[in-house]
Amino acid sequence: MSKTFNIKIDGKECVALQGETVLQVARREGIEIPTLCDDKRLDPAGACRACLVEIDGQRRLQPSCAWKAADGQDVKTHKVSERVQRHQDVLVSLYMADHKLDCEGLPIETGNGNDLRAWAKDCSTLQLEPVNAPRVARPGDVNPYIEFDPELCVLCARCTRYCDEIEAVNAITLTGRGSETTIGTAGMRGLLDTSCELCGGCIDTCPTGALIEKKAEKTLPHEVEKVRTTCNYCGVGCQMDLNVKDNEVVRVTSPEPGTTVNDGNLCIKGRFAYDFIHHKDRFTEPMIRGEDGELHPTTWEKAIAFAAEGMKKVAQRHGPEAIGFVSSSRCTGEENYLMQKIARAAFKTGNVHQCAAT
Amino acid sequence: MLKKTADRERVLPLLEELGGVTEENVKRVHELTGVPEADIWGSGTFYHLLKGGPGIRVCNGLSCRIMGSDQLAADLKAKGKEVEEVSCLGQCDRAPAALDESMKVFDAAKQKRSITPDDPRLPLNLGGEQNFEYAALKKARELGRDGILKQIEASGLQGRGGAGFPAHIKWKGVSSQPDPVRYVVCNADEAEPATFKDRETMLRRSDKMIEGMAIAALVVGAKDIYFYIRGEFNAEAEAVQAALKRAGDHVKDWNWHFHRGHGAYICGEETALLESMEGKRGMPRLKPPFPHEFGFRGKPTLVSNVETFACVPYIINEGGEKFKAWGKTEAGSKLYCISGHIHNPGVYELPLGATLEELVQAAGGYMGNPMAFSPGGASSGFLPIDKRNEPLDFKGLQKAGTMLGSAGVVVLNDTVDMARAAQWQLEFFEDESCGQCAPCRIGSRYLHNQVTKYLETGDPAALKHANDVGWEMEEGSICGLGMVAHKPLVDSMKYFPQAFEKR
Repeated sequence: MSKTFNIKIDGKECVALQGETVLQVARREGIEIPTLCDDKRLDPAGACRACLVEIDGQRRLQPSCAWKAADGQDVKTHKVSERVQRHQDVLVSLYMADHKLDCEGLPIETGNGNDLRAWAKDCSTLQLEPVNAPRVARPGDVNPYIEFDPELCVLCARCTRYCDEIEAVNAITLTGRGSETTIGTAGMRGLLDTSCELCGGCIDTCPTGALIEKKAEKTLPHEVEKVRTTCNYCGVGCQMDLNVKDNEVVRVTSPEPGTTVNDGNLCIKGRFAYDFIHHKDRFTEPMIRGEDGELHPTTWEKAIAFAAEGMKKVAQRHGPEAIGFVSSSRCTGEENYLMQKIARAAFKTGNVHQCAAT
Repeated sequence: MLKKTADRERVLPLLEELGGVTEENVKRVHELTGVPEADIWGSGTFYHLLKGGPGIRVCNGLSCRIMGSDQLAADLKAKGKEVEEVSCLGQCDRAPAALDESMKVFDAAKQKRSITPDDPRLPLNLGGEQNFEYAALKKARELGRDGILKQIEASGLQGRGGAGFPAHIKWKGVSSQPDPVRYVVCNADEAEPATFKDRETMLRRSDKMIEGMAIAALVVGAKDIYFYIRGEFNAEAEAVQAALKRAGDHVKDWNWHFHRGHGAYICGEETALLESMEGKRGMPRLKPPFPHEFGFRGKPTLVSNVETFACVPYIINEGGEKFKAWGKTEAGSKLYCISGHIHNPGVYELPLGATLEELVQAAGGYMGNPMAFSPGGASSGFLPIDKRNEPLDFKGLQKAGTMLGSAGVVVLNDTVDMARAAQWQLEFFEDESCGQCAPCRIGSRYLHNQVTKYLETGDPAALKHANDVGWEMEEGSICGLGMVAHKPLVDSMKYFPQAFEKR
């Protein structure tokens, strides 16, 4: 058992565990502190400055995402501290001066949401003139899935840190310096010409919708219903949320980190390869090819019996070695077990393989 | 996250060796080090000197600007030269200054630089001959860790890099860490506009600096000692190397390493400097943890300024009390840099707490009718000339809402438009912001844009939100650069309101 002690946040006594940050304690207690650069899978960066709080005895405001709770600490958030509230008001205003705004003057929302928008609504913002930062985008990135708009980026570096700390792929980086800083790649090449595996985790972690899925850019988060399911591309069992609009899957997102086995991660297949769901060529029922050469719908019982019959015939005519079984990595471990059992026990052949085995 | 740094540390030197950041060079460095290409690109594009494009670098620091650097740049361009205007080069006593393609001071014949004349009694005595007998180091070995610390404490020595933090606390902090591997790093990335004292110390008294570093290494138990010398300081790095050679056997107990800066002011901030030494983008770390517990390669590290180390031999030889007695309002003597509208710009060793008036007297008097001065580099903003009798020390100036910083004093006379001066300083801070946190990255650009707009339109409405933005930069930024970047504008608006009226 780790040691516990009490800290005070906005006057409320809260129990903290040794090693926890102030932000972690606050969240458990339901005390909301805005964040942009925080992702619980990543080391705290303290870079976005959204979560600054007053800590008794500290001259400067401190990032609650990185500040360790200590026994008896007295913490004040924007709810009770005018100083922290003023800090947030001006900080949001600065972010907005460096961000695309809509006709209401709020940070625009893309298909990937925008946390800055909600936060801006909670603050009394100054109307600062746009700073027109001299950033350059990566031109001509033709990858099929990931789109980056530097004008919506707050440089929280969650995407680059995710690519590094979680995926260990290191395809993207902060590039340039000062107001020119943006997200880039080596040589500012397109993602297909880098080590990028197109897992899309950068999209998932982006808080402001600067990174979006190309195919799904138009559908806003509140327009969809999320249906939790298990990815069937392999046997890991990643949980994913089908984003459904008008009875159609328009996007796949990963559940909150820390809530499922995949901890908010998905691979290129799980996140992006969902087009088959509504594809016109997709088989949706069992079919048998008739003597006319065409496929005809049938029942599972009939289809399985037909396939079994055909295989048995081959075995009788040419012997068991004439038959081989290749299972799919989309099958579960149990299904793969059954596949080798059919091969070895029913057909008495060792010709069994699985596509992920090589 | 602490990464394996052995190969990463080679990234920046390799890029420099190959001629800067290009796709090809990044690939080559990746093959040589195994560091991901994107990381190499990200690190390389952070540094100005790795962008390639050699040419003549004309300084656009404040002192050079008021001495006509714009004209110099225009003249050189007219002669068909490739000219780049760059942040302060630390040659303010030769204003307007420029470096040629090989980083040599351009047209050095025009040198005006001055120093305090040789006086053997002075603790630093820039005018004296170098002395490699290393009596202080010998004495320090006899005193041992506690004996040395006692003298450092008695001397009241404060860090000369800008923060004025008591040296003995820092030294004790490193030496009492449980980790047996510790490092000593000399911060010679002097780049605060108007500051050139470390430059002169390295050129003239590397003997003292090196001896001081060796004594520090005795105290903290370090085997490896690092220099981080500003990239533009070639002559200075050579001087240090030559001195190290002459120090010879006296300092053979330690491994001495050289890192060069690559053109980023922010790397003078100690944690950004450490990141840079590790081959990364020079973005300051969150503090805590401080370098004395988590420094270079995550090990306890003593990072101190050139001048701080150079004070140490005197303290050991003569005793802490004697060093302390040199001070007026605070302990010791201090190297003050002065430039701008005065007759003999240079570096002067005066009692800590000397006033502007005393400093200007040493520097040959004012040129014209003085109106304002900046007490400690661009970061200290501006004060009106009526503060000329205030002591220039760490605590007093802090109370006055400014700072001594690196003691880079610039005097402006009444020919200067304060709004223009503020714009120049903001241009510097925008160029040199690391870009990590929004208050500084966006704030410095915003203030620079707005003061430029005011100068173009004459409408004070452009500066309506300057105080709010400045306040937030001070409250919200990660490091000291962001905290002070607003000062040149916000302080000018406070002390010289007439310069910001409708025009």
